[in-house]
Amino acid sequence: MRTFLLKRLPSGLLVLVLASFLVFLILRLIPGDPATTLAGPDAGPAAIEAIRSELGLDQPLFGQYASWLGRLLSGDLGPSYAIGGQVTDLIGNGLGATAQLTLGALLLVVLIALPLAVLGATSRRRPVAAAVQAVTTGVLAIPPFVTGVLLVLVFAVGFELLPAGGHESLLAEPDLAVQYLAMPALCLALPSAAVLARYLKDGIERALAEDYVRTATALGVSRRRIVWRHALPNALPSAVTVLGLQIGHLVAGAVLVERIFAWPGLGQLIEQGVVRRDYPVVQDLLLLVVAVYVAVQLLTDLAYTWLDPRIRWE
Amino acid sequence: MTAPPRLPTAPSRRALLRAGLAGAGLLTLAGCRSAVEHARNAAGAADAGPPRRGGVLTVATGIDVTPSLLFAQSANTLIQRLVFNTLTRYDDRLRPQPELATAWEVSPDGLSVTLRLREDVLFHSGRRFTAEDVVFAVRNLQNPARSAQLRSTAAAVTDFRRNGDFELTLVLAHPVSNLFDLFEFMIIPDRDSVEDAVAGTRLIGTGPFTLTDRKPGSSLAFARNDHYWNPGRPYLDGVEIRIIPQAESLLSSLRTGQTHLSYNVRGKDVATLRTDPQFRIHPYDTGSGAYYIGVNTTAEHVGDKRVRQAIAWAIDRDRLVQQALGGYGSVSSAPWPTSSPAYTEAGATHYRHDPDRARALLREAGAERLTLPFAHTNEAGPTAVAQILQYDLQQVGIDTVLQPTDSPTMQKQLISQSMPALWSLSHGFAQLHPATLAVSAYPFNEAKNSSRFTSPAYTDVVQRAWNRSDSDSPEALELYQRITDVLLEEQFVINLAIAGLIEVAGHRARGATLNKFGYLNLDDAYLTA
Amino acid sequence: MTTTTIPRKSAAPGGRYRAALLSARGLTGLALVGVVALAGLLAPLLTGTDPNAQSALALAGPSAEHPFGTDDLGRDLYSRVLHGIGTDLALIVTAVPIGALLGCSAALLAASSRWADLAVQRAFDLLLAFPGLILALAVTAVLGPGRWPVVIVIALAEIPGFGRQLRAGILVQREREYALAARVGGASRARVLLRHVLPNAVDPLIVQTAVALSLGVFIEGAMSFLGLGVRPPEPTLGSILSQSVAYLATDPAFAAVPLAATTALVLGFTLIAEALNRGIRR
Repeated sequence: MRTFLLKRLPSGLLVLVLASFLVFLILRLIPGDPATTLAGPDAGPAAIEAIRSELGLDQPLFGQYASWLGRLLSGDLGPSYAIGGQVTDLIGNGLGATAQLTLGALLLVVLIALPLAVLGATSRRRPVAAAVQAVTTGVLAIPPFVTGVLLVLVFAVGFELLPAGGHESLLAEPDLAVQYLAMPALCLALPSAAVLARYLKDGIERALAEDYVRTATALGVSRRRIVWRHALPNALPSAVTVLGLQIGHLVAGAVLVERIFAWPGLGQLIEQGVVRRDYPVVQDLLLLVVAVYVAVQLLTDLAYTWLDPRIRWE
Repeated sequence: MTAPPRLPTAPSRRALLRAGLAGAGLLTLAGCRSAVEHARNAAGAADAGPPRRGGVLTVATGIDVTPSLLFAQSANTLIQRLVFNTLTRYDDRLRPQPELATAWEVSPDGLSVTLRLREDVLFHSGRRFTAEDVVFAVRNLQNPARSAQLRSTAAAVTDFRRNGDFELTLVLAHPVSNLFDLFEFMIIPDRDSVEDAVAGTRLIGTGPFTLTDRKPGSSLAFARNDHYWNPGRPYLDGVEIRIIPQAESLLSSLRTGQTHLSYNVRGKDVATLRTDPQFRIHPYDTGSGAYYIGVNTTAEHVGDKRVRQAIAWAIDRDRLVQQALGGYGSVSSAPWPTSSPAYTEAGATHYRHDPDRARALLREAGAERLTLPFAHTNEAGPTAVAQILQYDLQQVGIDTVLQPTDSPTMQKQLISQSMPALWSLSHGFAQLHPATLAVSAYPFNEAKNSSRFTSPAYTDVVQRAWNRSDSDSPEALELYQRITDVLLEEQFVINLAIAGLIEVAGHRARGATLNKFGYLNLDDAYLTA
Repeated sequence: MTTTTIPRKSAAPGGRYRAALLSARGLTGLALVGVVALAGLLAPLLTGTDPNAQSALALAGPSAEHPFGTDDLGRDLYSRVLHGIGTDLALIVTAVPIGALLGCSAALLAASSRWADLAVQRAFDLLLAFPGLILALAVTAVLGPGRWPVVIVIALAEIPGFGRQLRAGILVQREREYALAARVGGASRARVLLRHVLPNAVDPLIVQTAVALSLGVFIEGAMSFLGLGVRPPEPTLGSILSQSVAYLATDPAFAAVPLAATTALVLGFTLIAEALNRGIRR
């Protein structure tokens, strides 16, 4: 385990360095620069030049990259260009909201996928299996932006059960916050839940076809016990990989979902940052996303090897 | 050989059940209080008899403020008149009314203006407002970094003569016909904290509300300024501006009563609310909703003004207004709204939908099968507009290749004058004194514009219209007519339709107004029970 | 568990696939994809209406002239949806194989050595961690709008999915008895990998293909939704859908047809893949 971490950590760091380089370059490849968005629609070239030099955008690229890394290492990310305020505060606020959304969605993914998969894989009644099949496929077949708008129309405008969008602090107003969270989390969770349910169901079915299950059945072990004690655990490793992949989708999907539900998270911040070419915000944020992702992958791999001892620590 | 598959302990059914119950419990807890009701009641207890004191008005907007553009006309001008005040404000007929200035007198030669200021005004910091703050405000706009569109007018002020703390004379280099546009535009900031203001950390003004909290990309919260100079105002305890980028979600927030007021509902959505008694709809001629096709006059083919005129004849403006703007807008081939002194019926209807005439002009110019690049911003609305224009142009033999572009890229191309042959956008500034359009709005700027159009005749007539002290004499109107004539003849900006801001107010929100620059004024606003 | 057989790829894979596709599930899937795909491919024959021709008749309901009604610019929805299916199919049929090929090659490379594995794994992480919006923006900004940026973004997004599935499969199969036995028996690492491990690790890739095809349709839609899709006015399922979202409350019929086509397409792919998957396992 320790050797595992020792091997993985340096490579994780390498990914971060590479990512920082990529992020920096990609942002500058995208046309349009922060000075023009700061200067506004009717600015003259003089104003833009003044702003460019104030922001240090007239420096050579390498110098800009170095000074960014310097700021990162010093821990003080400095002010944002266009959005206003300190980058640290902006990311801090957004992170809280996105963490709520993503964790809420993740919980829903597991809560939806696990029963569906077990039901679908083990039910001897064909209509049940077919229904599970239809649900998982149907959910996958509707784009999330349509699901989101439909959810709002049904639950907010139609039945007036849930607010159409917005956000409350989970600490200050937990009961209200849960209602604000419900629809965006569900919208975010549905496609991932369907994917996970599908893999899990396949995994369980495959495990049920294995010899040892036949042996166990022959030995008189109850079917319920076989599914929960034997088949499901054997289907978990690959499901965890899928779940790990889905976390990436959840974070990426947050951009769309946060937009539809006016959820003030990192997805919104990143979009704002890109739209206004707020380099510091986008750079720091993308790097953070990569870092979180790398950490999640590390944990996924740990879980994977822990769940399936046939795989050696490498 | 390998070990048989291990059978690790799986989550037991009981554990799963427990997890499920916990989730259900959370929802039950949620059942105690409804967030929908909570948001709706945030305005406070019910109390009959308008206008009513108290409550928090929630405004929905699609785009966050850009702090660096506080002193410029930008996409979000909701906060300017909440936190700050201007010197004067226009009535419906462009006649100035007192705000921080109580009286004014322009010298007969138009070279100076003397302002009498209110003496009972305090900044949110507690400091008293004096003539010195007006001096600072004018100098602030002269700073190019503030990107103020009316900088040219501010720059015409060359000297300040103070007569006590509350009287001030501005000395001008030359007469300007749009002086009161400047006074309508220029907010008076606290000079000690102006850098904090453009950095987005602190806003200190003299206005009816103080900024208490800003969550970038999400919301702005304001509390009542208890020391506001306008007695008994504001009625509201506070204002919240909520940023909801997705148009459908913004509409839903109004429908569910989560927000009370918005100026960012698309015309086609307004059309669906028109019959709903829950909403009151009020169009303003304010804002940057004058749709146009810009032409790069140095590009191939469109350098010929007959081709540009052909484009103007080719567009079915009525269909554009119906399909892209939901009917909220008026077709016009000139930039002026009906409230403008430069508006004429003949100018507005100069170009109509006449494909045959367009084809004839193209034949005459020897440009019968053209393919031109056509840029537009990549949001849904502008993309629909561009597709309509593309189709109409195709009918007269001009094929276009659409170039969806994101706003910062477009802006950079506009400023660096590197636009493709055609593009579609919208502009503002025509709702004011006509000279403001030609000296302040970039598309029409006589000295430098994105069309790369220059003409001595245009420069001459614009300068004469601007360098005069009156703005509504027969000579002034004559000059405006000549500006219109040049614009209609040259068509470097092909005007299509004019759509101002549309106020959509839920049934509880009353008394909100906008000034000519779209600054939201909530002095007299209140929420009914 | 005393003797260990070395499974190879079954003697007649073609037969198994055929049998799988002829199951009820497979036939339903084939029918769905077939109908939708045919409609898309034969669009020029099925409708004489120009999908981009506009009229003053906007948001009209179904009529003899416009079987599915018209969109907000008065264009015939029947023709737009048919042509949109064609565009979508062209996009995903180009992008998914590219993504699968790149992803699988990377996974095979990863299996060659520990270092390669590390490098490939981290490359996948990087690709996955990058929010698709940024990727889409960057690619579109560099290449300009059109079909290729969409294809590239879809392909890039599919690489890690295929790669990681194959890698996971190889990891499991490699430790299985037959693989160990083959290695003990003196077979080279590459030979074991290609002859024994790979064929048995292929199963999850088939499920992945179904997901990838549907994901492709969604990525195209999301890009259209953000204004980064195929150059307008060319119709795609995603662009018609995102256009219709604005009218969900007032004109739900506008969204119904593109949504039905999308759903049928995705559903069909999934059913086919599941049928194949079952057939292979049998």
